[in-house]
Amino acid sequence: MAEKDGISRREVLSGGLRGLGLLGIGTATGALATRDRSDDEVWQIDPDACIQCGLCATECVLEISAVKTVHSHGMCGYCELCTGYFEPDPVNLDEGAENQLCPTGAIERTYVEHPYYEYRIIPDLCVGCGKCVKGCNMFGNGSLYLQVNPDRCVDCNRCAIASACPAEAFRLVPRPTPYLLRGKEGT
Amino acid sequence: MTEDPSSPDPQRRKVLRAALWGGGLAGAGAVAGITAKRLASDPPAPKRPPLGPEFTYDVTRFQTTDPSLIQWREVTRFQTGLERPRNLAVAKDGSILVCGDGGIRRFDAEGGELDASSIEGSVHAVTELPDGRILAALSGRVVVFGNDGRPLAEWPLPDVLPVSLAVSEKRTYLADANGRVVRVLDFEGRTLDVIGQRDPEQGVEGFVVPSPYFCVRLAPDGLLRIANPGKHRIEAWTLDGSFELGWGRPSYAVDGFCGCCNPVSFALLPDGGFVTGEKGLPRVKTYDCHGTFTGLVAGPEAFPDYVKAAQAGTPKAASAGIYVAVDAGGRVLILDAIGGTVRIMRRKEDTDG
Repeated sequence: MAEKDGISRREVLSGGLRGLGLLGIGTATGALATRDRSDDEVWQIDPDACIQCGLCATECVLEISAVKTVHSHGMCGYCELCTGYFEPDPVNLDEGAENQLCPTGAIERTYVEHPYYEYRIIPDLCVGCGKCVKGCNMFGNGSLYLQVNPDRCVDCNRCAIASACPAEAFRLVPRPTPYLLRGKEGT
Repeated sequence: MTEDPSSPDPQRRKVLRAALWGGGLAGAGAVAGITAKRLASDPPAPKRPPLGPEFTYDVTRFQTTDPSLIQWREVTRFQTGLERPRNLAVAKDGSILVCGDGGIRRFDAEGGELDASSIEGSVHAVTELPDGRILAALSGRVVVFGNDGRPLAEWPLPDVLPVSLAVSEKRTYLADANGRVVRVLDFEGRTLDVIGQRDPEQGVEGFVVPSPYFCVRLAPDGLLRIANPGKHRIEAWTLDGSFELGWGRPSYAVDGFCGCCNPVSFALLPDGGFVTGEKGLPRVKTYDCHGTFTGLVAGPEAFPDYVKAAQAGTPKAASAGIYVAVDAGGRVLILDAIGGTVRIMRRKEDTDG
């Protein structure tokens, strides 16, 4: 269509739309960023949404992430062959380093009675990579899962891991009940 | 060039354009300011490299299989229509019963839907009694349906999680994943006996059932075959509860059972062999009557949606199994709980030529 006026209706419209678009983007960004984590809320991971992508280990503002694996002992099968503890197709079903899945040795395995073993997470060694969680979810029953440890979390207003989380698994939860637990512990 | 007399004042045009851009930018700027203020109190986000391969859970090397081991071919498949299918069985007339969340659906041997029965809750197992009544197992109860699909009775089973059913001429054998035993019931729902109760003093190790997969079948030799998934074995037990023998070993290799607890399902072939279904690495395999691996019906490549879900680590994958049944003609039926389909498989030698 030929331009009849010095400023066409199309230009006014497109200029207006651009302006409105910018405003919209700005407002949305602002609304997201200024969403208050009030003092009575903390960040937590919804274990049913978590995909164990590994970013919890690298995105936290702390040197060692505040995210740790937790273990629902009520759900756990106390398996001799725990897929959260052993490398896929381990050489032996024992505590040899070559058989262990966790690169930091953060899971302790102790004999209970034949053929059952107990598994405990050592929080100081856990970096929150979620490798054990992946193994447990894929082959087991999901009794291992990731949670933000509220005692370590420094309560960022905008959690750096939440911002990076591709599964949008982070939620704000009440400070008095800071976990999103699975199994009997969650009821 | 002459200016069009109808054109507006160029000054006005500039003001208009500037106002529009200015307004937009001011808005965005204001919001950016608020954001910056908000974030100013948070510690700076670190710049770290991605995790190394040692932090990756990698089972891709087990997700491909030697094609020469695959001895079966899919002849057809059909959608179950159930939002969450959970198990399947073959009735005496050759019809296929599929159960899941919300009820049971019956299909003809080629997958045409025949009828459906609705039940509130998750039906974990289904089977047919000798008189044609249908049993549907749910957490804490079994619902009995008549031939016409209407509910006739309910057997309350408090604290029982029945996940598999087998039937003889007079008894129902119910695998209880919660109690980790096989319950023997009459056809009125009364518990007559319990098989496999752990008793270390008597040397009975019991069944190891870490997740709700615990399969029981009645073999033509008159013995029960019961999966002991935490031990990666299939075991033979007498009907009165004595352990006879077992076979199977834990391994991600194709002839073993992978993960913490497999097989999740199995069925008996007409030649006395076994067909097994595994979770984690979705594999359907065959073994002879002694438990020697003989080949694959379908490897992980046949279940791309399942592999993808398992890799993503979603709970849906964690709670989904690959269930198998065998019909009178020796066809293997595979229920893919994630794809929501039943696949009908035949031996390649029966379909070639």
